[in-house]
Amino acid sequence: MILLLRRVSVWASFVGVLAVIFMVRQTTAVEPMQPPPSVPARKPSARVIAAAGLVESLRENTRVGVPVAALVKEVLVQVWDDVEAGTPLLRLDDRELQAQLKTQRADLRVREAELAKARRQHDLGQALRGDGLVSQEETDTLRDSFEVAQARRESAQAVVAQTEALIERLTVRAPLRGTVLQVNTRAGEYVVPSGDAAPVLLGSIEEVQVRADVDEQIAPRVKPGARAVGYLKGDTENPITLEFVQIEPFITPKRNLTGSSAERVDTRVLQVIYKFPNGLPRKVYVGQQMDLFLEE
Amino acid sequence: MTDIALKMVFGERAKYAMLVSGICFSTILMTQGLALFFGILGFSYATATNVRAPIWVVDPLVQQVGDNQPLRDTDVNRVRSVEGVAWAAPLYVGGAQARLLGGGATQPVTLVGLDADTLAGAPTKLVAGDVQDLRRPQSVVVAEQFVEMMQRLRGERLRVGDVFEMNDRRAQIVGIAKTAQGQGGASYVFTTWDRAREYAPSQRRMLTHVLAAPEPGRSDREIAQVISERTGLRAITEEEFKRMSSHWMLVNSPIPYVVGLIVGIGFVIGLGVSGQTFYTFILENTRHLGALKAMGTSNLTLIRMVMTQAGVVGVVGFGIGVGVMSAFFSMLPEGRAPLRLLWPIPVIVFGAILFICSVAAVVSSWRVVRIEPAIVFRS
Repeated sequence: MILLLRRVSVWASFVGVLAVIFMVRQTTAVEPMQPPPSVPARKPSARVIAAAGLVESLRENTRVGVPVAALVKEVLVQVWDDVEAGTPLLRLDDRELQAQLKTQRADLRVREAELAKARRQHDLGQALRGDGLVSQEETDTLRDSFEVAQARRESAQAVVAQTEALIERLTVRAPLRGTVLQVNTRAGEYVVPSGDAAPVLLGSIEEVQVRADVDEQIAPRVKPGARAVGYLKGDTENPITLEFVQIEPFITPKRNLTGSSAERVDTRVLQVIYKFPNGLPRKVYVGQQMDLFLEE
Repeated sequence: MTDIALKMVFGERAKYAMLVSGICFSTILMTQGLALFFGILGFSYATATNVRAPIWVVDPLVQQVGDNQPLRDTDVNRVRSVEGVAWAAPLYVGGAQARLLGGGATQPVTLVGLDADTLAGAPTKLVAGDVQDLRRPQSVVVAEQFVEMMQRLRGERLRVGDVFEMNDRRAQIVGIAKTAQGQGGASYVFTTWDRAREYAPSQRRMLTHVLAAPEPGRSDREIAQVISERTGLRAITEEEFKRMSSHWMLVNSPIPYVVGLIVGIGFVIGLGVSGQTFYTFILENTRHLGALKAMGTSNLTLIRMVMTQAGVVGVVGFGIGVGVMSAFFSMLPEGRAPLRLLWPIPVIVFGAILFICSVAAVVSSWRVVRIEPAIVFRS
């Protein structure tokens, strides 16, 4: 009996100690650290400067503006259109100017008629003067009237030409060769010269470059001329080697990376431009974000 | 002599059972209390338990995991630029309000915004769905507690594919994860960093932490130090971050104080009960010891016998005690009860039990030494 009690209690205690060891392991177990679900971008070498990059077209994108606030009459291009310099992009509402032009043209015709009349009288005066039928004074007056009529016609012509130029100005044309990247307006919409979004965004997408934003605190480490390795957002497995183009001389407030308009400036960045090598395996789009590692 | 000592202990079943159960009871009381205490401290760093990274980079003023001080967006790249850092990822942690469509249920959540590229820090234990689906628009991974809480409020269980609202924006569940619960009971909702900006109440700066990892072959601590020096931010290892939080909570929150008080009382009562039980046992055996003394046993041998008895009773009582407690722990629902049985806890409790038993044994030895052998013939 004594032996049994002894055995049972000692065994129970032994089991209890094992159980508590198990519980200790279970309640304090820290799972081994897992690597991130997707492989992070790999640094090309130990000493690099990391920066956020934004792909843009070579020589930056052109935000084509409008000369005056007006209604859009017609949108002549759509995205992906390749345009030459001078290709019309938008036509703005010109009815007001057209109306003015009508009266101005009518006025020009009046002036022309007046000029014709003055010329005839002047010619007649000249002819009769030779015959001595008209006094010198009369001929002078006729010549003056003729010259005034001439000047008046020229003035009317200038007014018409001005209005025509103003009308022509309402056709917004591509300032350079490129591709239409964005069209932010439709026929019937009102556009203003200082609007937030440019009505048409133009750029060359045959050649794109990437603009790297380097925090001003690590900017002194940037070495001009050094190459960089970049990863497009969402693709951490295919590094792209980029060639140095230039450092922008002016440090600017941080702009990209987030894109929120409510953002305030809390840091300034040094911008470094890099260019893509020839023959990229995949298409790089203007506006794409990149993670860059600048070689030191 | 040891035999006789053990016979005295095991001899009387009722007395033995009382002795062991007394010590067993105090063991449970002390162990449970301490485990509860550390479990509650664990609430303070639930975010670091749910979002895993070797190194955390935070604002130098941050003192604990729950303190979300914003950093500047470019700080991610500053950390990434430090030599020895393998990768760095942005993280947003902040409060938000979740609302079921059609109303009827709302609850506060801790919103976690993960780096969309790598999903670094994403939950690993998913009961349903796939973390990779976080790349889909408007997707979130929710904690199991979230589903349970919504079920209590609304009656129906949310599944993968269901939709709710945060900050008037649609959020579709693409996964349900097992997570540790945080302080205040808010459950965790994971999404990508860019999307968290929409779900969270608008703030000027939305980067609260930078997660980082050292390159293979470099230690977390070493690289954390380098990051701190180079960036002027505070970079600490996961372990230090947790310890810092526990410490902060210990000093600043009333909860550990209250729990500590209860645990302390439990500890004192446990000690008292086991000491007293053992002392009573010796008292009751005074006559037997007297008899042995009368037969010529030396004081030293008697003391050794008492000590042996204390040791045996202590060990057996402790063993059964922790066994019972472990069984009790394992019956609690996983992840809900804040119990963390750190390895020093059973060791400390074992030491305390042995200590109090020996104190009781020493006190009773003094009695044994003074026993007049004649006691056997009295009464």
